Amino acid sequence: MHDAILVQELGKCFHHYHAERPVTIMEAVLSGWRRMKPAQRFWALREVSFRVAPGEMLGIIGHNGAGKSTLLQLLGGVGRADEGSVKVHGRIGALLELGAGFHPDLTGRENLFVTAVAAGLTRREVARRLDAIIEFAELELFIDNPVRTYSTGMQMRLAFSVAVHTSPEVLLVDEFLSVGDLSLQAKCLERIAELKTQGCAIILISHSAEQIGQLCDHALWLRRGQIVAYGEPEVVAGQYTTEMRLETQQRTPVRAPQLTRTGMELRINENRFGSMEVEITDVRLLPVSEINSGDFLGVEIEYLAPQPIDAPIFSVSISDEEGQFCFDTNTAAMERELPLVEGKGQITLNFNRLDLSSGRYFLNVGVYEQNWAYAYDYHWHVYPLLVHSSTVSEKGILCPPCR
Amino acid sequence: MQQLATGSKMSFIPNPNLKISNRPRWRLPYLYDLLRELVSREMKLLYKRSVLGVAWTLINPLLQLAVFSFVFRLVLSVDVPHYASFAFCGLLVWSWFQTSLFQATGVIIANRPLIRQPGFPTAILPVVIVMTGLIHFLLALPVLIMFLLMDGIELELVVLFLPILQVLQFAFTVGVAYLLAAINVTLRDTQHTLGVLLQLLFYLTPIFYDITNVPTGYQSLYYLNPMVHIVTAYRAVLIQGTPPNGLPLLVIGFVTAGLIWFGYRVFASASDRFVEEL
Repeated sequence: MHDAILVQELGKCFHHYHAERPVTIMEAVLSGWRRMKPAQRFWALREVSFRVAPGEMLGIIGHNGAGKSTLLQLLGGVGRADEGSVKVHGRIGALLELGAGFHPDLTGRENLFVTAVAAGLTRREVARRLDAIIEFAELELFIDNPVRTYSTGMQMRLAFSVAVHTSPEVLLVDEFLSVGDLSLQAKCLERIAELKTQGCAIILISHSAEQIGQLCDHALWLRRGQIVAYGEPEVVAGQYTTEMRLETQQRTPVRAPQLTRTGMELRINENRFGSMEVEITDVRLLPVSEINSGDFLGVEIEYLAPQPIDAPIFSVSISDEEGQFCFDTNTAAMERELPLVEGKGQITLNFNRLDLSSGRYFLNVGVYEQNWAYAYDYHWHVYPLLVHSSTVSEKGILCPPCR
Repeated sequence: MQQLATGSKMSFIPNPNLKISNRPRWRLPYLYDLLRELVSREMKLLYKRSVLGVAWTLINPLLQLAVFSFVFRLVLSVDVPHYASFAFCGLLVWSWFQTSLFQATGVIIANRPLIRQPGFPTAILPVVIVMTGLIHFLLALPVLIMFLLMDGIELELVVLFLPILQVLQFAFTVGVAYLLAAINVTLRDTQHTLGVLLQLLFYLTPIFYDITNVPTGYQSLYYLNPMVHIVTAYRAVLIQGTPPNGLPLLVIGFVTAGLIWFGYRVFASASDRFVEEL
């Protein structure tokens, strides 16, 4: 069996035009057709090679501007490669910009026909699948209403339903699972899995390492148009996450040492990292920072977000003096998503009892971008925590109640 | 795990062995369905956007005709027999040409989501516009025939040339539309500029006057405009009941064939850029 997708040494070159490039005929004539030539070129993709067998799912991960969408376009035959080749066998379905092609004044049914025919079906094929498409989209009652009366969710359901009913042999999925409600996401994922078992090759774009690790058979990590890693999804996702930490260091602005309200010194790139889009202004340990093993401990984090920040993740960890982690949690893991933060705020984590063995520890706090892309602010080994215990020696970490 | 991280080469020479096998397959029944669906979308939108719907396609030339009849028969008195039929025929032909070109120029920008659809044959979009125009033309045809009958003109057998003229005009318009649509992606004011130029060209094409009124010294210049021959041919077939002058139409046919080939090439090579520039 041959590959559903075979990409060899693919390269795509984009042109940067002069900033004052004429965009109207008048300007072009006035400037004497100068500056019409590209001023610079850069490679959006270079030497990208991979293959996807039928029934396989390849995840593509990378930051914004890494070339993910360009790659997807080339796979879809939109645009022309400057180097190398793309071979795709079979009908291509695409989940890109769901619903963007709908016309608000036309009914759901009319849009359905246009979209499905534009996606490669003949009218007769659409007519045969019409009921299935409407049923999957759960729009039986609204299909003859104009699309402008639809909610975003309804539009997405219709667009998705059309796309998966074109019996694609290759499916291109742009990061869409991050929008839409959870039940829709689950339904879509289920349908994608179904297509996969029927032998459809799938390309999934994401910047969530977790999603790639869970769903895909292989993963490919792109950075500035080049492959950084290609292979097992867990390994690639892990590498990507590690890289993210370095990214945080690079984004950390230069700033003089600062004191928190409770008098702790924060020194950039020594014990503090992050882009400072959200700042952790103070951390207090309650009742005190010196406790007996098994006591209650509260961690109060005060933050300041000058600009509104969407769904940041707060994390708290405890490490010993050598940097060994004893405890680590975050708001995403605890399923306590914060919708949006702006201005000053406070967030508290309470340990009903902290059963650490006696010793000197540090409390580390951080706040991250919603997809863990980088840290806004991370304080490492700033807040000391002293634990006393009379029952166990200092060799261990745990000090659970024991008889 | 495979590590494919590589350094960047500095050559910008396109690979001559470039092969892309995922180009759309040109299945004729499919293209017909696609054309039909997209044309019917245009028609439906026209219906839904105004109460009068498709009647607008008639009202516009009829109003123009009323004004021209008033100005050129009562105010300036142009001596053209069967003036209403004469002018209406010209107006229908011209408005098909003008509307199609104007809309086709903006068609790429207006249909961005379709163009980004894998396997979508972008080259169909200007054809959709010209086809929609043809349908409006056909819908107005009964009104034109009514004018002819009222003017006491009997349709001769030469009226069978009509479809040939329409095919010729269709092809010519599509050829020009390809070029304009491609240019408009790079130079965004092409549509506005075209609007002005078409308005001027309207006056320089004998739509509401006869070419015989043009001083003979200028007539040869007029004949460089293919639309002059096309309009004249329509009138010959419909009003005078004589076969159209074959030679200029044959020349236009050959020019059109070359124009479509060239226009399509420009459009196709530009269409790879569309996605980047939009």
